[in-house]
Amino acid sequence: MVEATGLTKSFGDVVAVSDVTFQIGRGITAILGPNGAGKSTLFRMLCGLTPPSKGTVTVLGLNARRDRDVRGRIGLAPQQDALFDRLSALDFVTFTALTHGVADAEAEGQARRALAYVDLDADDPKPVGSFSKGMRQRAKLAAAVVNDPDVLVLDEPLTGLDPVQRQRMITLFNELADQGKCLLVSSHVLDEVARLGSNVLVIAQGRLAAAGDYRTLRDQMDDRPHRIRIGTDRPKELGAVLIHRGLAEGVTVDATGVSADTTDVDGLGRAVAPLAVEFGAQLNEFTPLDDDLESVFRYLVERRR
Amino acid sequence: MSGSVSAMRAVQLTHRLLLRQLLTRGRVIALLLLGGVTILAAVGVAVSDEVEDTVVTTIEVIDGLGLVLVVPIVSLVFASASLGDGREDGTLVYLWLRPMDRLPVVVGAYLASITISLPLTVGPLAVAAAVGGAGGDGITATIVASVVGVLAYSALFVLLGLIVKNSIIWGLAYVLLWEGLFTQFSEAIGQAAVRGYLRAILSDLSDVRLSDALDVSTTTAIIVAVAIAVVSTAIAAMRLDSMEIA
Repeated sequence: MVEATGLTKSFGDVVAVSDVTFQIGRGITAILGPNGAGKSTLFRMLCGLTPPSKGTVTVLGLNARRDRDVRGRIGLAPQQDALFDRLSALDFVTFTALTHGVADAEAEGQARRALAYVDLDADDPKPVGSFSKGMRQRAKLAAAVVNDPDVLVLDEPLTGLDPVQRQRMITLFNELADQGKCLLVSSHVLDEVARLGSNVLVIAQGRLAAAGDYRTLRDQMDDRPHRIRIGTDRPKELGAVLIHRGLAEGVTVDATGVSADTTDVDGLGRAVAPLAVEFGAQLNEFTPLDDDLESVFRYLVERRR
Repeated sequence: MSGSVSAMRAVQLTHRLLLRQLLTRGRVIALLLLGGVTILAAVGVAVSDEVEDTVVTTIEVIDGLGLVLVVPIVSLVFASASLGDGREDGTLVYLWLRPMDRLPVVVGAYLASITISLPLTVGPLAVAAAVGGAGGDGITATIVASVVGVLAYSALFVLLGLIVKNSIIWGLAYVLLWEGLFTQFSEAIGQAAVRGYLRAILSDLSDVRLSDALDVSTTTAIIVAVAIAVVSTAIAAMRLDSMEIA
């Protein structure tokens, strides 16, 4: 339903998206990447909001920038918070339905159903300008689904939502996927992606770093050596024994502890306390240093080079 | 189910939305005060013992304050914001990513701008003309020049809002420097400014000779103003179609 070939976008000397190729069908596809990775630029090209510098992108076989009617089959929840601040949620979502060509007689009813989906009160007269971030996010999601689009493009849709609302939205996304719709959902949070579904595109530094099933991606990530900080009063002895017993592939020792590279974090975690007892060392820290998403992406990108 | 939106429907929806977005109490009060300055000046003309000909002096006030400041600035504030605000804050996407042609969206924005600007300009200026003693022809001249001015300036400033950021600043620079200052240096520049045609209408219909007014008929001035509005709107539609949306 969505196809990109050699998609590239440059802003002057800055390459935001570089030579990205993928095909996406029905169901949920999570676009995963750290902030600034190029996810929003990718979405903007997909929706026709900005033309690619090179390559092509089509939605349902058409170009949203050129073909007017395909724009009525796309529901977009953009990342930015801006809404028509003087409208109530019902007016905003009804307006969205009308501008998608929904008939007058049906527009308000569809808007009420969309607002109910996202747990917003359709009869709340307050303007969306006075809404909290989470409520604005839900109003955007209601607007994105109100015209029953075939393709939904949701840019960081769970940002600003509390855990209950997040779960509700994830359930909604899965229901829409079950109806045969194509959902592209971007996120920079791994756990969210795990709950969204199995199909993942990883974007890092504008490039497609990995694509496919989420579990395969996790396996790839598990091959990566992890760096663990172990705080101790006897760093030299502990570092040496970690290497000697094969618990770490490499260590860096300083005055207050050891930074150990290991592919078996759990094994190291289980072994380090008995080792400390054995050597009469005190432990005061056991912290992963590179478990943030960005380092995972860096690893995936470097693997592909 | 959704479908495409007809041109007339797109005009209507855009017009209705932008009327609500543009019409803020702060803007209306500030711009009514601007019109009020012209009325105060006209009151000064009416009560002054030193004014020899109230018709001529009132028309000069309408020219110097109304056509130089009130008409372009009121038009600027609403027209440049109509699509320009959405371009800057990101809400334009809610009009852009829709099965609607671009021209009706621009026309809807233009109509929303003039729906608000016309009463805020024509009203105070007509009152000023009446209070100052411009007479029937003077009041008619004021109303026609104001309406034509709003129609031309609004189209120009809708386009401006789609072209530049901080369109209010660029628009003020255009109004004060190009239309207000440079036009005094040569007739050629005067012919390339909306104000010249508005002064021609004011002078022609009120029968008051304004210094350096363009020597064109009211009909010609109206045709030029309408042409400016049509061309600006068409360019704005092309710009909306080709621009990058945040």
